[in-house]
Formats: sequence, C-alpha cells, structure tokens
Amino acid sequence: MPTYLARRLGQSLLTVFLTLTTVFLLVRLAPGDPAAAYAPPSASNADLARIRAEFGLDDPLISQYWIFLRDLFTGNLGTSYSFHAPAFDVVMDRMPYTVTLAVSAIAVTTVVVVPLGVWMARRADTKRELGANVMTIAGQSMPDFWTGVMLLTVFAVLFPVLPASGFTTWSGLVLPTVTVAVLQLALVSRLVRREMVSALTSPYVTVARSRGVSEHALTWRYALGNSAVPLLTALGTRFAALLNGVVVVEVVFGWPGVGSLVVRALETRDYPLIQATVLVTATLAILVQLLVDLAYPLLDPRVRLGKAA
Amino acid sequence: MSGTTVLATEGTERPSQVTARDLARATATRTRRSAHVKLWAGAVCTALVVVPVALANLLPLPGANAQDLSRRRLPPLSEGHLLGTDQLGRDLLSRILHGGQVSLSVGVLAVLVSGLIGIAAGAAAGFFGGWIDAVVSRFLEAQLALPLLMMLLLVVALFGPSVTVITCVIAVAQWPEVARLTRSLVLVEREKPYVAAARVLGLRAWQVLLRHVIPNVVRPASLVVLLLLAQAVLLESALSFLGAGPQRPFATWGRIISDGQAYITTSWWLVTLPGLVIALLVVGVNLLGDGLRDRTRRRKGAGA
Amino acid sequence: MTPPPQSAFTEYESPSRRTLLRGFALGGAGLALGPLTACAGPTGAPGPGTLTLGLNRSLVSLDNKLNQFDAAITVQRAVRQALTRIGPRMKVQRVLADRFEMTEPTAWTVRLREGVHYSDGSPVTVEDVATALRMYAKVNGSFILGLFPELPTVEPTGERTFRLRTERPVPVLDRLMANIHITPAAANRPEELQSGVGSGPYRVVKANSGAGEYTLARNTRYWGPRPHVDTVRVRFVPEEASRVIALRSGELDVVDTLTPDSAEQLTGLPGVTVQETSGVRICQLFFNFRKPEGHPLADPRVRRALTYAIDGDSLIRDVLTDSADQAEGVVPLALEGAVRTGSYTYDPAKAKSLLKSLGADDLRIKIIWESGEFAADSSVMEAVVDMFQDIGVRARLQQFQPGGDILKWRQGRGGDWDVIGNGFPGTTGQALTSLQGMYGGTAAKERTRDTYMGYVIPRIERQLSDAATEVDATERNKKLAAVQHAIWDTWPSLWAFAPKTLLAHRDRVHDLGLLTLGSYDLSPVRLEG
Repeated sequence: MPTYLARRLGQSLLTVFLTLTTVFLLVRLAPGDPAAAYAPPSASNADLARIRAEFGLDDPLISQYWIFLRDLFTGNLGTSYSFHAPAFDVVMDRMPYTVTLAVSAIAVTTVVVVPLGVWMARRADTKRELGANVMTIAGQSMPDFWTGVMLLTVFAVLFPVLPASGFTTWSGLVLPTVTVAVLQLALVSRLVRREMVSALTSPYVTVARSRGVSEHALTWRYALGNSAVPLLTALGTRFAALLNGVVVVEVVFGWPGVGSLVVRALETRDYPLIQATVLVTATLAILVQLLVDLAYPLLDPRVRLGKAA
Repeated sequence: MSGTTVLATEGTERPSQVTARDLARATATRTRRSAHVKLWAGAVCTALVVVPVALANLLPLPGANAQDLSRRRLPPLSEGHLLGTDQLGRDLLSRILHGGQVSLSVGVLAVLVSGLIGIAAGAAAGFFGGWIDAVVSRFLEAQLALPLLMMLLLVVALFGPSVTVITCVIAVAQWPEVARLTRSLVLVEREKPYVAAARVLGLRAWQVLLRHVIPNVVRPASLVVLLLLAQAVLLESALSFLGAGPQRPFATWGRIISDGQAYITTSWWLVTLPGLVIALLVVGVNLLGDGLRDRTRRRKGAGA
Repeated sequence: MTPPPQSAFTEYESPSRRTLLRGFALGGAGLALGPLTACAGPTGAPGPGTLTLGLNRSLVSLDNKLNQFDAAITVQRAVRQALTRIGPRMKVQRVLADRFEMTEPTAWTVRLREGVHYSDGSPVTVEDVATALRMYAKVNGSFILGLFPELPTVEPTGERTFRLRTERPVPVLDRLMANIHITPAAANRPEELQSGVGSGPYRVVKANSGAGEYTLARNTRYWGPRPHVDTVRVRFVPEEASRVIALRSGELDVVDTLTPDSAEQLTGLPGVTVQETSGVRICQLFFNFRKPEGHPLADPRVRRALTYAIDGDSLIRDVLTDSADQAEGVVPLALEGAVRTGSYTYDPAKAKSLLKSLGADDLRIKIIWESGEFAADSSVMEAVVDMFQDIGVRARLQQFQPGGDILKWRQGRGGDWDVIGNGFPGTTGQALTSLQGMYGGTAAKERTRDTYMGYVIPRIERQLSDAATEVDATERNKKLAAVQHAIWDTWPSLWAFAPKTLLAHRDRVHDLGLLTLGSYDLSPVRLEG
C-alpha cells in the first residue's frame, strides 16, 4: 500500500509537472502580449517595454522557465497581472464556487442516476426503458451552452423564478447544476445499467435467488453493491473533469468560478494566473482520482491496491 | 430477469414450452428490437440534418451572407424566410445549413485524424509495451487532468482560428479515446495464437502489427467513431461559442448561437433553432453509434 | 468487468463504507457552504436599503491608478475623491478643493475645502495631494499619465493651500486633476491600492477583488451631504444577456454601459427606465496610414470615395438600434471644444464612379478589429462587407480575440491591413486630449510605432500643439475648430460613430443622474419601495 501510494503520487507529480511546462510554453508562444492587455490603448512602446520588464518577460524563455521553477518550489506562483495579487490566492478565491458547482452537479447526478440505472437494468429493453434511454442520450447531445441559455430563457425570462447569474443566493445554484447534470446523466446511467444487467444475470445472483434472497435485496444489496466500484470510478472521473470543464457553463451563468476566471486570464494573457489555475485544477483533479482509487478497498474488499492489473 | 432466454434463441425443431409470445418478450429479442429502433431513429434524425446541409447549395434559399437590414430579426415562418432572419436580416435557415457544412466537415475531418492518431498510438502502446506504452499512457492520463477547453483555446490563439487548426485541435482532444480502446483491444489480440504463428514465420514485429493485428482491431475501434463525431460537433460549437471559431463571415453553429444570445429576450429563434439542429444531429449520431454497438455486442455474445 | 462470484455472499463492512460516504457528503457540504455569503430572496433580489450595481467588467480595485472605466468611476469616486470632478454638461466642479484657478500660465492656485477628512476622521492634507501625484507618476502602464501632457508639482503655500506648477501651460489642468484620487500619504503606494480609506460618501465593508464583488456602506463621518442609500453592492456580471435578465427580474438595480441590443430589449419594460446621454467615445473604421506612396489608400480622394459606400443611417438605425450618433466631426460632439466638420453620405453609385475615375476599382480591403472593441462590432463589420460588395470592393474580415495580437497589427508589425475597427475614449471630456491622441503623430513617434495607425501629418500636429498651449480660452477654441476641419479633409475614417452611453435601472432607483462621461454620482441616488 505505501509503495503503491508513493508510485501513484510520483506519477501524478510528473503529470502535473509536464502539464505545467506545456502550459508555460504554450502561453508564451501564443501571440498576444500581456503588457498590451495590461496597459491602456494609448500606451507607448516605451511604456510597454517597461511593463514587460516589470513582469520579467524580457528575459530569455529558458531563464523565465528557471525562475518559474525556482519560485514554484518555494510555493510562489507569481503575481497575477490583472488582479495585482498572488495568482494562487486569486484562484483559491474562485475555487469554492467551482467546487460547489461540481459537488452539487455530481450529487444531483448520483441521486438521479442510481435509481434510474437500476430501473433501466430491471426493465432492460422495454419500450419505456428505451424511451428513458433516448431521453438521457438527448440530454447528453445538447450543447451545454445551449441548454444553459434555454434554461435561462425559461426560468429567468419567461417565468422569472430563478436568478440569471452569479451566486448570491442558493437558488442561483439550480440552473447551472441542472445544466451540468443533464450532460452527465446519459453517461453514468448507461454505466449503471450495464453493470447492473451483467450483475443481475451473473451466476451468484441466480444462486442467491435460488436460496430465496428477496428481489429487493438482490438488486440493491448484491448487484448494486458489486456495481459500486465502476460507479464510483465513473463519478470520480466526471467530478475531476468537472473541476476543469465547467468553463462554458460558468461563462453562460456568470458563475464566479475558475472556469470564467480562466477565460478572462486568457483574454488578458495573465500568464501567472493561467499557470496557477492549471496547477490547482490539475492537482485537484488528480487528487480526486487518487482518492477514488484509495476508496476501492473500502467499497469492495476484493480489491487490493497495487496488486490488480 | 429470467434465465431461460439463452435456450429460446436456439433450436426451433425441438418440442418446447417456449411460445412465440415468450420469444417476443425474451431479452435477446428485446435487445435486438431496441437496437433496431435506435438505429432507425438515429438514422432518421441524422438524415434530417445531414441531407439538407449537404444539399444547402442546391436548395432555393437566400445566400447565407445576403443581408437585408430592413428585414432583420423576422420571426420564423415569415415570408420567404422559413426560420426567420437574424440580426442583419440574413436567412436563418440558410445560415444554419451553410454553417452546418463548416461544422460537419470540421467534425468529420477531426474524427478521421483522431482515429488515425489514436489507432496508431494505441496499437503501438498495446503491442510493443515498454517505454512506448509508458509514454502513451502518461499522455492519456495527463489529458484527464488537463483543463481541456482552456488548452484548446490557447492552441487556437497560438495558430489562429482557421478551419484546419480547429480540426486538428479537436482531433488532438479526441485521440486518447480511440487510443485507450485500441490499446485494450490490442492487448487481448497480441496474446492470440495467430500472432505467435506470424512471429514464428519470421515476420517483424511491426509487420505483424500492421498486417495482422490492426486489421483485426479496426472494426471494433471504429465503432466509437460515431460517438466521437457527436462529440466533435459539440466541441466545435463550444469553441465557436467562446469566440475561437473560424473567421467571419463564415457561419458556424456555435457562432450563430453565441451571436443570437444577445437577443434571447426578444428573438428566441436565433438561439433555439440552431441549438435544436445541433441537438437533433448529435442525438441521431449518438443513437446510431449506440445501436451499432448494441448490435455488435449481441453478435459477439452469440458467437462466443 | 463482472465481479467474480465467490465474493457474492461476503458481508460488506458496511460501517466503514457508510462512514466513508458520510465523510464525502459532509466534505461536499462544507465546501459548498464556503462561498455563500449574503442571503436574499429566491431570485436574489436585493433588500430595501441595498442598491445593487451590475458591472460588465471586473473592478479589480477601488483605486484608479491602473483601471478606470465608466462604471468603475462611479464606484471608485464613491470611496475616493479627487480635487475636482467633471459634472453635468461637462462643467468642472470642485470637490476636495474649494478653490482651483489658474493664476499664472504655468501655475494654478488650489485651496483644500475646510474640514474635508477621510472616513477614519483624519484630515485631507496638502501632503496627501503631493504624494498622490508622485505615486501616479511611478506606476507603469497607467493611462492617466497619458492624459497629462506633464504631471504638475505641488508647492505648499499654507496649511490648506498650494500651487500646482507645470513646465508649459496646461490649460485644462483643473479637468485633468479630476482623475487623481487622494489617499492618506502614509498609505499611498506606487501600485493599485487594494484597501485603505478615502474621503468619499461610502466606505468599503467587504471586497472580493478576485470576483469583482464589493459591498459599500455609508460613510458615517462623510464631510458632505449624507448619501441616501445605506448599502451599495457591486457585482460583476460579464455576460450581457445575464445582466439584462437580472435587471428584468430585479436582481440588479442598475446596469450601465449597455449594448444597443440590451437597451432595445429593456426599453418599455414595466419597472425599468433606460437613460442615455451622447457619448464621448468615438468608434471608427480607421484607415491604415502606413500605406506606401502610390497605394490607392494613401490617396485621400480614394478614402473619401470609399466612405460613400457606407450606409451610415441604416447602420445606426438597424444595427446599432439608434443608440449611437453618426460622427459629424473627427471627435464626438459631446466633447468640450468639438465642432461639426462634415458628415458621411451614402451614395454607392458615386463611390463606384469615383473609384473608377481614380483607377482604384479593383480594390481589396482587409478589415481587422478586436472582439468587443465596441458594441455590436461584428454585426457592423459583417454589414460593411456587404456594403462594399455592392460597389464591387472585395472585403475580408479578420477578428482578433481579446488578448490577441491586434496591437502588433495596429502598429504595422503583424501584417497588412486596410481598415481597423477601433474605439478611442474621451476620458477627460476634452476634444483636445482625443485629438492629440489620434492625430498628433510625429515622425519621431512613428519611429517607435507610437502613432495612431500611422497617422503622421506634420501640419496638423503643429496646429494641434499650438492649440494645446494656448492659454486664452476663446483663441484656443478657434484654433481647435480650424484643426478639426483640416483633419476631416484628410478623410481618416471610412466611417465613425459615437455610441451613446446607455444605462438602465429599476424604477425604485431615483435621482440617478447619468453624466456624459458615463459615470454618475452615487450620493444623491435614492431607493424607494
């Protein structure tokens, strides 16, 4: 177990490091000039040169990279150009919003998906199940920004019952959560269905049934219990993806999370902020994955970490 | 739920308690039927979008960029404009169809490219193992952790928003999916006797891979292609929505929606209709992919 | 995938699993609870004593050393004040100073108002003014510096009096000083201040600069008349559509800097009032003045011929929904000192024949601009392409994303282009500042590519600097008028317009006086109902 953890952590560190390096290079190779985004349009080239010097963008790429690494090891991610504050703090200010949205979306998904998937498995390939299946696929097929705008139109314009943007009240969480959850339903419910179908037709369930175990216990205890690991994996992966991937939904709903921050940081070429965002979200996503893996043995005693292929 | 279905699919000669009604209600029949329904529904939805898009240039429609500022934001079913007009008085239907040509070709090309990269990388990783596998696997893992959309926006900023760049960017975003699948298929395949036989016959490893293993995994791997196409179309529209679409005045689906978003309280059709078209196409493609997969799985199940 | 059956009958360690799941749930709830702050109604409608403003740009700080835009001024001025301000009808009003006059061509005598103090009770001193000027001078990338031909120095002459001295005459110094916010000297730094006190009617009680959200409360020790509203909440709502919806539902009380489309959607709605003033920003389709001799666009007659292709009236009416004025001069007429110099006419036949007679009938035009440079920018550009098509000119568009490379292109280092869509702000309310910024290019500045799209016409630059140092107001206006006519005749823009400043507020908001510069004074604003 400790060696397994160490190996996993090592791999994760390497992944984060490579990702950061890629981003470091990409932002600097991309056209655009942080100084130009920072300075007023009337700024002279001499002004811009001074700003670039202040940001340390005059140095050759390799020494910029060296400074970046050195600072990274002392826990310093640089100062955001546009916020005039430590980039890490700016990201952490926004992080709770993104996590809130991701958590609530995953919670809603789980609450809907487990009963839905079980029902679909038990009614596999009936007309109603087919209908439900097509519905979830339809949900997955709508562009998220479009779903968001449609929900806004209905619940904030036609029937103004929910706030249109931001997070100033709990009800502001509803529309973004639904938008994100709708996308996840198809993927996860299909997984639950598949796992449940194969569990319900496997020999041990037949044996259990012949011993007189009730259908209820068979479904919820035996079959669902054995589907927990793949379900948790899927939810964990989705959660990790959400931490990175709610950019569009955040933009549509004016959600003050990391996604909308990233869009802004890109528009102002705020290099330290972009790097800090990538570091934080990538680390968090990897941690979630790791936690999910560590949770396997708790859910399923058959799993021994580091031994399975 | 019932364990008798396996019997039901076989021998009809034997006297049997299984009636035609049982057969019709049997899981296998139902699975086949639902795969069938999905295939048909998928094909119809896809065709409803793809056929008009393909024929856009032949249909008697106003030009996609022909403006008439005096006839702006007409609602659907206005005279001469089936789906109404946009903020510059351009025919919305024509813009959706012509925009679809851009969005669809980007999607199809992206899937082809990602399929090629994915199969090559996945096959190499699965067949050779070792450091190739390590590198590819690291890439696959990194991509799970990456803020994907942000990277895509960066790359589009880096190389400029042309159709080629956007195609490549989407392909890059998608190849891991194919690679992961191919790798797992190849892992199974390389243990099979025919591979050993080919080696014994003196073929080089890469010859075995190219001539014997890959042809055997291409078919199952290509099943995900339709699902990827659906994703590619969605991704392209998301990029356009965030401003990283091909240069104006090219219409793309995402851009029509993002331009129309400014008018949602007064002109609902500018956002709703193009979104419906995307959804219809993606639903169609997803259903097709799903149906095909169900059918193959069933066949494989029967063969085993 | 299918679990091996031997495990089927083993009992799970349910307590541990349950604990685990409960831990997850608690953790999630804890994380979720984190950001929630104020409580409000289900649609987030603010309470009776709270005014909520929805800004479309993030207010990074309540200091203005580096960032200042229309709505930001409103909020920044509610906390920190300057010696003067630009009031209604562009008139200078004295704020912290009760005397501010030019006593010599290069010196102004200023007296601080009796009893002005900060929200912590400490008095505003001459030293604070001197320090503020020094700090503004040290900031890199401040556009406020760009407004000043030179920064004045402070010569104290008494406890509340001092002289502002410049090298050369700066006749509009009283207006320029409206941009210098005064902060206690000891707390001022050569950077954007994230905290600290001001002398304004409000003080900051909560700030989240990362999210652009602020809560202001009435400054109980304010030296001036007591403001009516208890609490002002500032929110950052980037999506224009969301701002419109939020105002409709009452979630926001005031949204400013509206796009023409939003204004159109909000006009006539019950409970909502839309205010507009003529704007001081000019948006131009500016020609590239770096074309080599012999290129058609280097010829003013070709530039003039092209302007006939643009149907300005229909652009204003249909694309900008009447929320802009077609330019009739080279700067917006709302600016102090601006004059009418001509107007754009639509006559495609004339454009065609003129181009033909000038031998420029197979022109290809490349138009570049950055998204969001002005409202409805892409619609205007797409409409222009269509209009060019009608006179047989093939136009191509290249749109840059914010943060992209447009600056390089503007400076002629990115690639070749013919027309750029660009907006120029009129921050000081003075025509002169805008004129010098756009048309005051010199050969020396062009060497470092610091001119406006390569516009270098020496005689115009001479006329401009002559007008700039003229101390006599009447004479100065005469000279300014002359130079504006001269500029118009060089046909610098394909087309230009001045967008109106649009603001919408709920009907419960009273006495909101939108100023021409786009901001408004928060202290007289009242809330009812």
